[in-house]
Amino acid sequence: MIKNLWAALTSLVLLMFPLFSSASDVFPYDYKIDKLENGLTVVSIPMDNPYIISYYTIVRSGSRNEIEPGKSGFAHFFEHMMFKGTKNIPREEYDNFLTELGAGTNGYTSDDYTCYFVVFAGQENLEKVVKTEADRFINLHYNQETLKTEAAVIEGEYYSSVSNPGRRLYETLRHTAFEKHPYKHTTLGYLKDIQDMPNQFEYSQLYKKRFYAPDNTILLVVGDYNHQELIEFVKKYYSVWEPSNYKLKTPVEPAQKDAKRSHYQWPGPTTPRIAVAFHGPAFSDEKIDKAALDLLAEIGFSPSSPLYQRLVVEEQKCFSLYADFPDRREPHLLTFNALVKEKEDLPYVEEEIFKELELYKNELIPEDKLEAVKSNLKYSMARQFGTTDGTAGILAFYINLTTDPNSINKLFDLYQNIASQNIREMAQKYFIKTNSTVVTLTGGEEK
Amino acid sequence: MKRLDRTIILFILGLSLVTINCGKKSSSDISTELLPLEKNPLVCIKVVLNIGSADDPAGKEGLSALTFKMLSDGGSEKLTYKEITQNFYPMAAYIDMQMDKEMTVFSGTIHKDNLDPYYFILKDMLLNPGFREEDFIRIKTSHLNFLQKTLVNNMDETLGKEILNLMMYKEHPYGHTELGTVSSVKSLTLNDVRNHYENHFVQGNLTIGIAGGYPSDFPNKVLSDFSVLPKGRTPELILPDQQMPDGLNFVIADKNTPATAISIGFPLPITKSHPDFFALWIAASHFGEHRQHLSHLFQKIREERGQNYGDYAYIEHFMEGRGKFPATNYCRQRQYFSIWIRPLANSNRHFVLRQTIRELKKLIEEGIPEKRFELTKNYLVNYTKLYTQTLSERLGWQIDSKYYGTKDFLREARERIPKVKLEEVNSAIRKYLNYKNLCIAVVTQDAESFKEDLVANTPSPITYSNPNMPEEILREDLVIQEFPLDIKLENVTTAIASQFFVDTGIPSNRK
Repeated sequence: MIKNLWAALTSLVLLMFPLFSSASDVFPYDYKIDKLENGLTVVSIPMDNPYIISYYTIVRSGSRNEIEPGKSGFAHFFEHMMFKGTKNIPREEYDNFLTELGAGTNGYTSDDYTCYFVVFAGQENLEKVVKTEADRFINLHYNQETLKTEAAVIEGEYYSSVSNPGRRLYETLRHTAFEKHPYKHTTLGYLKDIQDMPNQFEYSQLYKKRFYAPDNTILLVVGDYNHQELIEFVKKYYSVWEPSNYKLKTPVEPAQKDAKRSHYQWPGPTTPRIAVAFHGPAFSDEKIDKAALDLLAEIGFSPSSPLYQRLVVEEQKCFSLYADFPDRREPHLLTFNALVKEKEDLPYVEEEIFKELELYKNELIPEDKLEAVKSNLKYSMARQFGTTDGTAGILAFYINLTTDPNSINKLFDLYQNIASQNIREMAQKYFIKTNSTVVTLTGGEEK
Repeated sequence: MKRLDRTIILFILGLSLVTINCGKKSSSDISTELLPLEKNPLVCIKVVLNIGSADDPAGKEGLSALTFKMLSDGGSEKLTYKEITQNFYPMAAYIDMQMDKEMTVFSGTIHKDNLDPYYFILKDMLLNPGFREEDFIRIKTSHLNFLQKTLVNNMDETLGKEILNLMMYKEHPYGHTELGTVSSVKSLTLNDVRNHYENHFVQGNLTIGIAGGYPSDFPNKVLSDFSVLPKGRTPELILPDQQMPDGLNFVIADKNTPATAISIGFPLPITKSHPDFFALWIAASHFGEHRQHLSHLFQKIREERGQNYGDYAYIEHFMEGRGKFPATNYCRQRQYFSIWIRPLANSNRHFVLRQTIRELKKLIEEGIPEKRFELTKNYLVNYTKLYTQTLSERLGWQIDSKYYGTKDFLREARERIPKVKLEEVNSAIRKYLNYKNLCIAVVTQDAESFKEDLVANTPSPITYSNPNMPEEILREDLVIQEFPLDIKLENVTTAIASQFFVDTGIPSNRK
């Protein structure tokens, strides 16, 4: 009886897969797009979610834009400088305005974009927020002294993660795997470049002129407000912003010819780590390469995967195993990471990862597994859309990639149409030994 | 205050054991908290157990964490952990387990399409745990690895906070990490785990919260299912009186690091249940609102001087949730005041410590400037509206409100904060805060050298890369670098970082 019950449960789970009427309705809200003459794009999603408005400014500039030597980490540094006020609204006044509003506010920088958000309650505050944010992006003002003090804060931010070996591993991996592309460094940048930031006042002005312009920026507003009113405010306050017309040319990463390997020796005791990475494709909502590898990464390395169950649950050689394949505007790394119990097992875990990938190059993934991962991705995404802020955060990410909010639906259409053969083809195309980089990290003795 | 006392207060308020929204079956001792939102496509379930690490038996520290992790990350009687992950995967389902001193929460949010199969497994995991040897070894090894390697070597800020906890709660049920110690965890057996579950996973210790677009008959079904658990409740947790530190007490963890992490604190006699809470909350928000420019410490240490990434203060145990807002369901009978100084260059540690204690002294002696007082009140009234955006947050605050004996804590806060007077805030600051009796946890390099500087009150000037620092700041720096701290040699303990959490308590001096 009990066995029958569990069999029934399993079939219930499997029958559930056609969960959305079509993949295209993954993103559940209507949106409106307006474009000002100066190139500023406005994506607006009025929502029936009382009080809250999420106001995001997406500047399509991140560490990918740090193309000159010695300037790693500058996009993130400039994010900090954006909070220094203007002649019209000095920093203290800006801070006080947001404080009075009780806004949740901050910024973050990624490889491809920098995002500033103000999350607040009450549409009666919308015009003041639009006016204040427009002023700060158009009229940012700071002097050398302010920049030098903020540069020291960046070093402090670096110190906040200095005890984290995962971060060092990630830095080493990127530095080893990339030769020319700015993805070679992390968003925080190299420590030597961070320490030189106090001397970069002139470059900061150039950076602003190049990238902090309406033709490189998207406003994303989600929440409880009137759309027409929003557009009127945006036109009123942002129209004077001059476009930059700067065209970024990022260095092209040459095809990797030989397998690479690196090791980071952590000074104190720590859990051994390994990262096995392959150069992969950029994000696309049209080509299947990245989408197919997304599915493979999930099928092969999520907690329900055979390899995870073997290495983590059954053999207990690893504490964790996971794949990381960020969506980026240009080709990035597909990385398989493991936190390994004993450093003597690092070669074994590495071998098992490569063997698993070899499997996907030769065999077809069963249909039920493919359907399970498609289902997982949709439900995972659906959970993000419960709040204005969750919606804005996810959408900001996809808008940064393509400027098109419909990219989410297009991506899930792609997922829906991927067959096992597509995944095998992509495995064969990308999982080549000469395209791989392996980085290990082990600890030293106690002090 | 004993749990019994709190229950009595709640009962007097008419809130005890009677659920606000739906009540509960008279045949069950389980409490429920419901938040029906018919149109919401998601359902959030929280199974809250009134048991935490403070309920660990002496010598078996970490037992609660290991036991309840076996429920969320192990198999059930019928399903192996592997089968559970495979069943959960297509639904993108999960069960989170969070544990604090007096509360453990199992939670998950699921699309309502999948509620039945998800709940079917969740119920099985919690009511019929498998307690397999292989799951036990896996989870126990993971906890030991965290204590032996990760906590003491790879997360200096968390290490500082945990050392502060050891200092504030010596010989107290709160006085160990939730995961226990290396020696106690090593001694735990699967039998210990089984017994702990049987003793504590009982009806009277449970509150079940459900929020979102669930069917109307779902709560009764859940209540009926969970009522197979034995009735009864764990005897009330009697906590000893809090011990205030005497003087400036230091514990310095020594390790190879270029940056110093500092946590400062002392026990507080009030919680959200106390009428003075709102006044003290305004003070803490002004002085050190978590990761916001409003924080006075942030302005003085980071913005003016660029010393580190941030500096904050709290009047409760604080865990960061979504979007930097406070996480819910970390309710405690006892709370503490704390200051979090994020890592800074070792060369500046003495200066920033002096600056922090001097700012605390100024807060106590001078109070909050009137302009800042009004600003902070407006901030809190508006900012708290952002706390409850997700189902989990709304349900979490509903559960916390009940714990602290209020109908809706955030609504009450927004009603009461505007009425708080400046003198009430300054009076609360003087009553509850102090700068002379502090526990100070430091993670740094060359602890002995720092100890000598502290005890000798060695001047601690700093330099800036900016050659044109404002005169006003440089003048203040001259005062800060000489600011006297009355530190007695016997009140400074140094120990190698990896010596912490091997056994209970603070390791003895390294020399």
